[in-house]
Amino acid sequence: MLKGFGNFLLKELKELARDPKILLGMIVVPLVMFPVLGGIMGYAVQTAQEQAIKAALIIVDNDCGNWSSSFISFIESLGDVGFNLTVYKENEVELTSEKVLELLAKYNTTQILEIPRGFSENVTAHFNYPNVKAYVRFYGVLRGTSVFESVSASVVDALISMFNRRYAPDVLDSKKATVIKGEIKHGVDPAAVSGLLMSQSIAMPITVLILLMYAVQIAATSVAMEKEEKTLETLLTLPMDRLAILWGKLSSSIIVAAIGAVAYMAGYSYMLSSVMAGIPEGLNLDLAALGLVPSVFGYLLLGLTLFVTMLSALALAVIMSAFAEDIRSAQSFVSYIYPLVFLPSIALIYLDVNTMPFALKLVFYAIPFSHPVIASKAVIMGDYWTVIFGIVYVSAFTLVVMYAASRLFATEKILTAKLKFKGLKIRREKPAEESY
Amino acid sequence: MSLAVEASEVVKVFGSIRALDGLSFVVKPGEIYGLIGPNGAGKTTALRIISTLLLPTAGTVKVFGLDVVQKAGEIRKIISYLPEEAGAYRYLSGWEYLEFMVKFNAKDRDEARAMVREAAEISGLGERLKDKTKTYSKGMKRRLLVARALMLKPKLAILDEPTSGLDIIHAYHVREIIKKYVREHGVTVLLSSHNMLEVEHLCNRVALINKGRLVAEGAPQELKEKFECSNLEEVFAKVVKIA
Repeated sequence: MLKGFGNFLLKELKELARDPKILLGMIVVPLVMFPVLGGIMGYAVQTAQEQAIKAALIIVDNDCGNWSSSFISFIESLGDVGFNLTVYKENEVELTSEKVLELLAKYNTTQILEIPRGFSENVTAHFNYPNVKAYVRFYGVLRGTSVFESVSASVVDALISMFNRRYAPDVLDSKKATVIKGEIKHGVDPAAVSGLLMSQSIAMPITVLILLMYAVQIAATSVAMEKEEKTLETLLTLPMDRLAILWGKLSSSIIVAAIGAVAYMAGYSYMLSSVMAGIPEGLNLDLAALGLVPSVFGYLLLGLTLFVTMLSALALAVIMSAFAEDIRSAQSFVSYIYPLVFLPSIALIYLDVNTMPFALKLVFYAIPFSHPVIASKAVIMGDYWTVIFGIVYVSAFTLVVMYAASRLFATEKILTAKLKFKGLKIRREKPAEESY
Repeated sequence: MSLAVEASEVVKVFGSIRALDGLSFVVKPGEIYGLIGPNGAGKTTALRIISTLLLPTAGTVKVFGLDVVQKAGEIRKIISYLPEEAGAYRYLSGWEYLEFMVKFNAKDRDEARAMVREAAEISGLGERLKDKTKTYSKGMKRRLLVARALMLKPKLAILDEPTSGLDIIHAYHVREIIKKYVREHGVTVLLSSHNMLEVEHLCNRVALINKGRLVAEGAPQELKEKFECSNLEEVFAKVVKIA
């Protein structure tokens, strides 16, 4: 045993355990954050499953034969085994793009199953010639890019598989089409598209998460370092604009964080391309051809969203660190911002903000750090108003925080403000050190 | 000509602590004025108010006729403040630190270069100025900071414990530099110190403050005669006891 190790370790543990900043930042925050995250994910799974089995399905019967009637009856009977599908029936409808959209709007649903002409004929033929197959055509609307988006499409696969099990293996197959931005894309599986979009759109939340965490750490420690290294006092007596100090800190943090983000993105895209290289070629989808790549305007809006969000996080970090006496305290303080960064970034991988209940939607919109993730999905779907609203909201939030930060830097509070943890009182009227 | 510093009935309250309690004194242009007092007497608070870092709760402070509350920006152009516990940027070399600091005051590049060269001479750090300041000893760092404060030839240099952490040789060197700057460049110096010998040899006038109030003021010789003491240390002890 190392001589003195036990004694020294005890001292270290005492110091750490008695520091309320560490206790809050490292123990209490994760204990609260992860259960909340778990609750949200659980809710997302539950909602997706409920939606899938309770979904409304339009069945367009263009065959009107014996087997098509049997197939519809079979689907309707599934309520007994847990599928609570509401079935709307239409006969003899030619499914053009306009008609598909009209039907979807009429029944307020997102999926259509078409039984094409010749369906009954093919099913009958299958029993003599097993190579002949009947097929149904599935039209699914691509709404968002959450992990559970593909659940509804997979329900159709489940229906077909159950039908095949009952009547004959491989008698029935499906052809899928996806309704993207009001246009039907034949041969495109909605589950595959949302899966691919998902894998691409995970990059944004994770990048935002890392970027914001880097940036707030840099901003917070840079102010605390001035205090810890005793350079702040001298700096504040120089003939310079105090706001220049604030802007200098924010700008340098943005630049360093941006360089970090570029390095991170390069590494991440390499990782992603390595993963994509392993996917069989037949499954490759061209997102650009499907119109699922942001436009130049979309990219501009996304960049702007990211910029204002960064600025708000940095200003918040600078303000919080102004209350810290040293780097360790500053790091503990900014860890209180992390749940607000973590929560939307991770939750929005699993959830689509558009399908959330109103109250939860409000919570996510109110957190400024949700907006880059929301925007990254919205620009793909061409929903620019959501992004513009986000930019306006985050800019307003940033202005308020920046105003508070500039007030703090303009007065003696930058030197004297301290956060007192006994009862979490903010104590301003106290000199930075105990010499009078 | 206006006074270098004119503090009148200055009060500063931090929560329940009354750090300054009606402090008044004046510093004439071209003199070296020392503030002495026990720990917690209010010396640093007074210097911070004059340096525009803190605002007085009550009373007025003027620096060369400029009010510290109304004209803080103007005052910062003519003062140079050396805090008691000051540091330099760890990842800048001594030379880079001086260059960074001088850019806020110098009118042009030539003046900036001349100031930095002068600071290099004052500091006596020689080749070590090329090293990062994180490699400096406490004494070397202090010499760099004193040089920074004086290279600007401010109208008023506010030096909180200018020789703290310096050995006898370097403390002597710094005191000589301060005297030279006052003599040759007309700089006014307001300093605080715990070193009575330093105050006695350096200051034209001293103010003894205790519990945020001025309790005695005068030239070192006058004070010694008035309190019938052989040195300022005895005066200090006597005055603090009486107060």
